[in-house]
Amino acid sequence: MSNTDVVAEVRAGTKRYPGVTALSDVDFAVRRGEVRALLGKNGAGKSTLIKVLSGAEHLDSGEALVRGKSLAGLGTRDVAALGVATVYQELSLVPEMTVAENLFLGAWPRSRAGLDRRRMRADAKEAMARIGVDIEVDRTVGSLGAAGQQLVEIARAVAQRPTLLILDEPTSSLAAAEVRQVIDVVRTVAEQGVAVIYVSHRMDEIRQVADTATVVRDGRIVETLPVRAASTHEIVAMMLGAAPEAVAARTRRPSAEPPVLSARGLVSDRLDGLDIDVRPGEILGIAGVLGSGRTETLRALVGLDRPAAGEIRLRGEAVRPGAFAAMLRAGLGMTPENRRREGIVPLMGVDENIVISDLGRVSRSGVLDRGAIRQAARALIDRLAIKTARPGTPIGTLSGGNQQKAVIARWLHAGSEVLLLDEPTRGVDVEAKRQIYGQMRRLADDGRAVVFVSSEMEELADVCDRIVVLRGGRAVAELSGDEIELTRVMALAIAED
Amino acid sequence: MSTTTPTGTPAATADTRRGRPGRDTQRLNEIGLVGAIVVLFVVLSATAPGFLSVTNQLAILRDAATIGVVAWAMTLVIVAGEIDISIGPAVAFSSVLLAKATGEWHVPFALSVLLCLVVGLLLGAGAGFLRARWGIPSFVATLGLWSALRGLAQYMTDGLPVPLEANGFLDLLAGSILGIPTPAIVMAVLFAVFLFVANRTAYGRSVFAVGGNAEAARLAGIGVSRIRVILFATTGLLAAVSGLLLAARLGSGNGGASVGLEFDVIAAVVIGGTSLAGGKGSLLGTLLGVAFITVIGNGLVLLGVNAFFQDVVRGVIIVGAVLINVLLSNRNGARSS
Repeated sequence: MSNTDVVAEVRAGTKRYPGVTALSDVDFAVRRGEVRALLGKNGAGKSTLIKVLSGAEHLDSGEALVRGKSLAGLGTRDVAALGVATVYQELSLVPEMTVAENLFLGAWPRSRAGLDRRRMRADAKEAMARIGVDIEVDRTVGSLGAAGQQLVEIARAVAQRPTLLILDEPTSSLAAAEVRQVIDVVRTVAEQGVAVIYVSHRMDEIRQVADTATVVRDGRIVETLPVRAASTHEIVAMMLGAAPEAVAARTRRPSAEPPVLSARGLVSDRLDGLDIDVRPGEILGIAGVLGSGRTETLRALVGLDRPAAGEIRLRGEAVRPGAFAAMLRAGLGMTPENRRREGIVPLMGVDENIVISDLGRVSRSGVLDRGAIRQAARALIDRLAIKTARPGTPIGTLSGGNQQKAVIARWLHAGSEVLLLDEPTRGVDVEAKRQIYGQMRRLADDGRAVVFVSSEMEELADVCDRIVVLRGGRAVAELSGDEIELTRVMALAIAED
Repeated sequence: MSTTTPTGTPAATADTRRGRPGRDTQRLNEIGLVGAIVVLFVVLSATAPGFLSVTNQLAILRDAATIGVVAWAMTLVIVAGEIDISIGPAVAFSSVLLAKATGEWHVPFALSVLLCLVVGLLLGAGAGFLRARWGIPSFVATLGLWSALRGLAQYMTDGLPVPLEANGFLDLLAGSILGIPTPAIVMAVLFAVFLFVANRTAYGRSVFAVGGNAEAARLAGIGVSRIRVILFATTGLLAAVSGLLLAARLGSGNGGASVGLEFDVIAAVVIGGTSLAGGKGSLLGTLLGVAFITVIGNGLVLLGVNAFFQDVVRGVIIVGAVLINVLLSNRNGARSS
């Protein structure tokens, strides 16, 4: 081996699945102490590469090596013993157990009398110290926020003293301020000589965390380059394989119409006298860091939560707060933040997942009309460019972006005039993101009101006609038209009172 | 059981044609059950004296109705991710209620029947309400009913059968229409109703949605609580219907009857491929599950197997059938992913 610093390597690796070549003649190497970002659209081959390096999949041809040892024929346990630790997107912690218990889940230190709690706590403290994080190890994991849980997950991986740490979108459920913590931890771990592979869709954080980036497209490595040397524009172009559309196409048209939905002085656990106006014909962005009340605002508007105080008006008329069913009937629709847990019914077909919002529309005298279901679903599948083998394919087998489009289609089927979209682009690949933006624009042009909640302020700044910035459960600023600038939105959201 | 292995080839074609993992496993399971039932028929007609006789076949139909009438409703309950274990006591209680009402309480017969149905429906709805409103697990809510109804039925009768005065309606329920046992006809009609409800009504599809992902269903505007109440009201109602059929058959209300019926009903549903985790299942599968269990029960009696040991055999066969089902769906799942 020419370079002893190389921790993990793939040489001329090819991996085929029925119908697709997931990796094609890939050469990849990562060195100790290096943080390597892995970039690419969903389905580009990132996951396969990760699976190969963690022993979950094996190459059809070529070689995968960790510390010079071939992974051929090794299982995930053997590869873990070689020093590869992987943190997947979904958390695998037991919320009811303490941080210490979770860190050594299934491998708790024992003494002759059973569990050695004292040693477990001491080891846990050491593990947290190693990643430079101060979290009380006796707290239950469930009582930590999303970021805390993610850090515990990373601490658990690092406690195995890996030589290669693979992080698969570790920040996808975190807000900007919390991402900072994860980034610091990853840098700390890398400084200890661990090689890190870091998968993320967020360019800004990649710039902060990674030294080098490998861009993957269609199972091939497009390029590996120092992060600092490339502009976001160039990297996006590499990921997409074509020059992205001119940004100049973006036009902002804040609506001058009277609000269709408005709230005054909403108060709840997370809201502190919130005022907001939602107007037809525009995309209204709601910006704010996690905990600023973004989701709570949507839930209050749609009637899922009943605020302790405040008033909500729909088309000028006061509505009873907390009347979810009535709000849906009156033309509101909300897509939830957690698509898997609250959005899709995984075993049901795409068609039924779409029409479920209004089965009356596809029934005749109380009986479901199969033809009408097919027709309604087909039309929306075409309109939103949902990629599915057939309308009846179980939605759980689709990619995140296509699932999201189907969940949005649900409210188009119901004919909603006010669409509240909570993080509609989370965990969605670049292409699907652009399609979702396009749909939002089209809905706004049709005269509907679109409310777009996102923790990625870049996309809010790009897409919205108007942005309300939340801080501490209040609307602290409203920017419209040309006032919208990323730096301004960001500054307003993280500013301290 | 080697009886389900010959199904490999047809299932494989179903797999490529439909390309739908959940449905394919279901289809595979159904084909396997048909195969198993055919094998049971062949084996029993060769070994069990009188198995193929018309009298015995009609008896099988009658027995099937004991399980089947409730099993259709139970399928939807389990698809919704819930469970109702109160069936046996609910059936017995209903038969006691009918006998008490018509006899001791001098309630007109038609009104007594109505009373049984309404009480059954309300008891079920009560359990459903506990589940829907306060989130009490349905296993616990119906466990309470299971204990209370059995106790109440035995308490009201001192553990003795309460004779029922015969009348035309009861004779009809106990007898046959055009040679077919009435309970079997009731079962068949209800099957058609449930097949329609499950597949062609908003309620039926909402049940599948709630079982597949209750939170998603709620956010899509489905009245999840309402559906949960209706589900248990339905099993309560059908348990009452089953109780009427039982009373007609025995000519009495019997607080100690139908012991372990809930076990047979749930077993039939699960053997039929409905997932206890919810979201997945079919009435056709349950129909086959009911047939499978009933034929085995009948065969064991005809073969003269010791009554206690019959339960052992049934227990083993039921777990074996579900095990095969699980193994098949795992293999199928692994292949399609």
